[in-house]
Parts: sequence; structure tokens; C-alpha cells
Amino acid sequence: MERTSVKIVVAGGFGTGKTTLVGSVSEIPPLTTEEVLTEASVGVDDTTGVEGKTHTTVALDFGRITISPDVVLYLFGTPGQDRFWFIWDELAQGAVGAIVLVDTRRLESSFPAVDYFERRGVPFVAAVNRFFGECAYTEDEIRSALELTPEVPLVWCDARDRGSSKLALIALVRHALGRLSPARA
Amino acid sequence: MAFDAWDGEDESAAGRFVPLYVLVNGRTSPRDSRLDLATQVVALPVDTRLLDPEYLRIVDRCGNWISVAEIGAYLQLPLTIAKVMVDVLVEQGYLGVGSPAQRKIVDRHLLDSVLAGLERL
Repeated sequence: MERTSVKIVVAGGFGTGKTTLVGSVSEIPPLTTEEVLTEASVGVDDTTGVEGKTHTTVALDFGRITISPDVVLYLFGTPGQDRFWFIWDELAQGAVGAIVLVDTRRLESSFPAVDYFERRGVPFVAAVNRFFGECAYTEDEIRSALELTPEVPLVWCDARDRGSSKLALIALVRHALGRLSPARA
Repeated sequence: MAFDAWDGEDESAAGRFVPLYVLVNGRTSPRDSRLDLATQVVALPVDTRLLDPEYLRIVDRCGNWISVAEIGAYLQLPLTIAKVMVDVLVEQGYLGVGSPAQRKIVDRHLLDSVLAGLERL
């Protein structure tokens, strides 16, 4: 009996609509799972005067799409806080790729995600969330602000809309397939 | 934020009677490194009468294929704990494991079927 799961990571800065996108395409309401971390608090959280270990709870939202009786796709939103990189590592390992949501009011908030996937060679697409209204930037301006390389697809989406979120996922899978082609090897 | 994991060092209300680290015998990571938060597991048809209730809760959730992350979410277990407990259950033959999500390279055939599945949505 074989049952395979695949992962897609949904990343982006705080408040870019990650959970909204997961919820709009997931067949189940997004679930939340938690990771409890023990970490040295000095210089990280402002617990001035408190030395030693602290417990931090990091919430991960995720959804599911059944592709076939043998294949299930999981969509994992990255934690809002950028500093939990090791959780990103766990999410990104073996993933098909990532959707980096972009909020045009705060382009820079998605830069750490772009940088992360770029460095690790994880296929990703930038998805500009139209939810925030008229976009004041052209595609070129967004590409240049996020330092996107030319082969990274940029799509426009409305994370609240199932069809639109689905198109962003399709763009990512096509991009990941394209990178598998022997021509690139 | 349903509960705090008890670290054995403070007396604050932990919200559960058995500290999590006792449940997993102090194991801090799964021995089977293929276990990923998206890895699918399913209950095997074996006698579960000897299982501790905390483990039985997990097996009871696995009537159909389910991911480690879903087990954590439904049973309100931190992911690391869910992963280690699932690992113990796999090791002892209570749960079967599907293909790990952590393939280094996702193969073309799999991506093609994901693409087709998404287009059908």
C-alpha cells in the first residue's frame, strides 16, 4: 500500500494572506499545529532580566487537497515570525516548492522569504495578493524590489478566491516541472 | 495556544497530568528520520489493548491515512511530540507509514499527477 504526500509551502511576510490562501483552496478548514520551542531568550525576546530558557509556541497553519486516492497535497503556511528558520527548513525539505505572497503595501516584508528559497534552490513563484487593492507598482518594479531572477514566475492573485489561489498553485507546479527538465541539468 | 508543554522545572498549571517527555521516554526526535510532518500513517489491524491511553488516542485517529501534522492539530500535541509518538507506534507495529514527503527530488510523474489534480479542482 502506497500513500504519498507532497508539500507546498506558502510563505510571505506577516499579514500577506498566507492562511487566507491556504483556506481558500483547502478541502478542510485550515488546521493549526504547534511547535513548542525551548530557546535561549537573551537578545531575542524582550524578557529583560530573565535569564535562561523560555518556551515559545510557534503556530503553523496548514490545509489539505486530496489529489488522488494515493496522493495528498499539504499546504503549509510559514510562521509569521521570520526568525524560526529551522521550521522553514522542515517545511521546505522535500517540498514541491513555495508560493511567496507579496503585499504591495509592504514589498520588503516578503524579501526574507524570496531570499530563503533562492539560497536553497527551492522552486518558488511570487504571488502578488490583489486583496490590498490597486497595485501602485508594475511587475518590473516588484521584480526589482524583490530581486527576483527572470525565471521566477510572478503571478497576480486574490488569496481569498479559490480559483485564483488554485492558479497560483498551478503556476508553481508548472515552474517546478520546468526546472526538472533535462535541458537545465 | 491550547496548552503549555511542561518542562519539569516550574510548578505552573500544565493542563495535563502526564508530562509530555514522560510519554515519549525522553526521546527528543524520531529514530526514523523519514518521518516528516506531512508523512502519512495508518492504523494496522493489531491488538491495541496494551497501549497507553495517550498512544491509543493516536491510533484511534488513524483509521484512515492521516498526516503527522493533522494528528498534532486534532490531538493538540506539539509537532515534535506527535512525531516522536508516531515514531514509537510505527516501531512497535501499530501504525504503517506511507511514502515520506521528504524525497530529495520530487519526481516528474508525481508532479504531473499533482498538476492534473489541481487543474481538476
